Amino acid sequence: MAEMLLEVASLNKSYGAIQATQDLHLNIEKGHIHALIGPNGAGKTTLVNQLTGDIFPDSGRIIYKSCEITRMSDYKRARLGIARSFQITHIFENLTVAENMALAINARNGHSFHFWRNSLKSSIVTANLDNALARVDLGHRARLKASHLSHGEKRQLEVGMALVGNPELLILDEPMAGMGSGGTVELSKLISSLKGSVTILLVEHDMDVVFSLADMVTVLVYGHNILTDSPTNVRTNKEVQAAYLGESVDA
Amino acid sequence: MNPLFRKYVCIAAVALLLAILPIAASMLGQEYYISLFSRILIYAIAAVSLDLLLGFSGMISLGHAAFVGIGSYVVGIFFYHSAEMEPLLTHPFTVQGSENGLIVIPLAVLVSAIFALVIGALSLRTKGMHFIMITLAFAQMIYYFFVSLEKYGGDDGLSLYARSTLPGLDLGNDLQFYYLCLLLLSLFLLFTTRLVASPFGIVIRGCSNNERRINALGINAYGYKLACFVIAGAGAGLAGALLANQTEYVSPGLMHWTLSGELMVMVLLGGLGTLFGPVLGAAAFLLLEEFLAMYTEHWMLYLGPFLILVVIFAKRGLYGVLVGGGKDHG
Repeated sequence: MAEMLLEVASLNKSYGAIQATQDLHLNIEKGHIHALIGPNGAGKTTLVNQLTGDIFPDSGRIIYKSCEITRMSDYKRARLGIARSFQITHIFENLTVAENMALAINARNGHSFHFWRNSLKSSIVTANLDNALARVDLGHRARLKASHLSHGEKRQLEVGMALVGNPELLILDEPMAGMGSGGTVELSKLISSLKGSVTILLVEHDMDVVFSLADMVTVLVYGHNILTDSPTNVRTNKEVQAAYLGESVDA
Repeated sequence: MNPLFRKYVCIAAVALLLAILPIAASMLGQEYYISLFSRILIYAIAAVSLDLLLGFSGMISLGHAAFVGIGSYVVGIFFYHSAEMEPLLTHPFTVQGSENGLIVIPLAVLVSAIFALVIGALSLRTKGMHFIMITLAFAQMIYYFFVSLEKYGGDDGLSLYARSTLPGLDLGNDLQFYYLCLLLLSLFLLFTTRLVASPFGIVIRGCSNNERRINALGINAYGYKLACFVIAGAGAGLAGALLANQTEYVSPGLMHWTLSGELMVMVLLGGLGTLFGPVLGAAAFLLLEEFLAMYTEHWMLYLGPFLILVVIFAKRGLYGVLVGGGKDHG
């Protein structure tokens, strides 16, 4: 049997009367690009937030590399190799592109309790900065304030920061949201280039992207996993079409 | 002009001005200005330390004066016990009073830092409005504690009969005291300038922009914010120790929230998140107070509109007006 990187069992989370996650089971195989789809309000981001430790479930278990992390705080999970990008771009707009990346590099290499030395001149940063920026094609933007980047570039920077330190599980929460078609192609290329080296949980609305990249697709409806299968099977499944895909698949 | 070049020219000009000011004042027979500008330098240290919180880490503290007050009381209380020849503490071990600046000034910084550690550790569990209120509440608690401390003068405060002693220096001499303040302010500015560009500094600045993202990177934001709060508290403690020496008087008024507010005004007036700006802010505030108070006791009536104009039209305060250009950090 294939090795599972992440196992979610009987997960429940509700906000008042709204059951955002309902008896959810999900296994993510190591090395896969695992897509998570579902209509708006299906609880995709709620699930992601429970995986990263932003919020805790009401009940259930989350196992990462055979270690239970259900109630572990977010920054500890990040240290275990779970990196994420947010649905709404979360970069540090008040820092330069290089400083953003340096922050991620320092975070992956122990603490940042250095008060005197310049952040961009430490050996660990100089050794990794150029590569980290080049990987997401932002080398020429290094000195620019992050707030001046285009939307697509901000996304690239965010994914680049998540990739620093080679995480084992990369969670991308709607990375294509709000991007032009050019940016979508660029980012798809980047994601497919990561295939095999890092396990990716991809939350995405763009079906073309999902079906071209994913090894496995999970369909979430009302916080419940109604189907996990290969992209081909998901595409042809009647229940899924009724619940979610509708006409968009035939179009 | 290249903004970076303009910035260095401005800083050099201000530094030169501050360096020759006491000499010019004595030549003109206006020694009073030496002590006024000593005060400005001391308040500048406190304002710069507050800028670390307001301008860089996004922690809006309305209790910063507490640390100024604690720093000043450390100097005051040690002086009192030294003058009365009465040990400050007999159990579990004996602590004697002291007038030695090499002991009391670092001690004032240390004690302020410890208070900042405790207050920060509790306050930083809250955010936003709650953080503002809890820092204010702690500061007011400390204020009322010292008001009720009859032993050290209660709300009348404590008079010192002399300034701290330092080997090779006579702090009673206003000129020497002025240059000590200038030196300490310069060192503090050097330290803070390095700090905000260091690996620690980008974490702190990152926190102010997006704390959740800092945590997602695997950094425990809390520890960094607390460290920053302690550093700022220590800076305020240094200012307090100098202020006690400058006025030869300590009182609970130094911890009152109105002083926290005034420090905040200095930071905003000078330029939030600029470090050098709060020095200009402290100078502008105290000079305006000085000169307007000559004409009217309602000088705040004129300071208010001035502050509003600066905040609306000069986004980075007086520093922005002087240096212009884009933001160099933050």
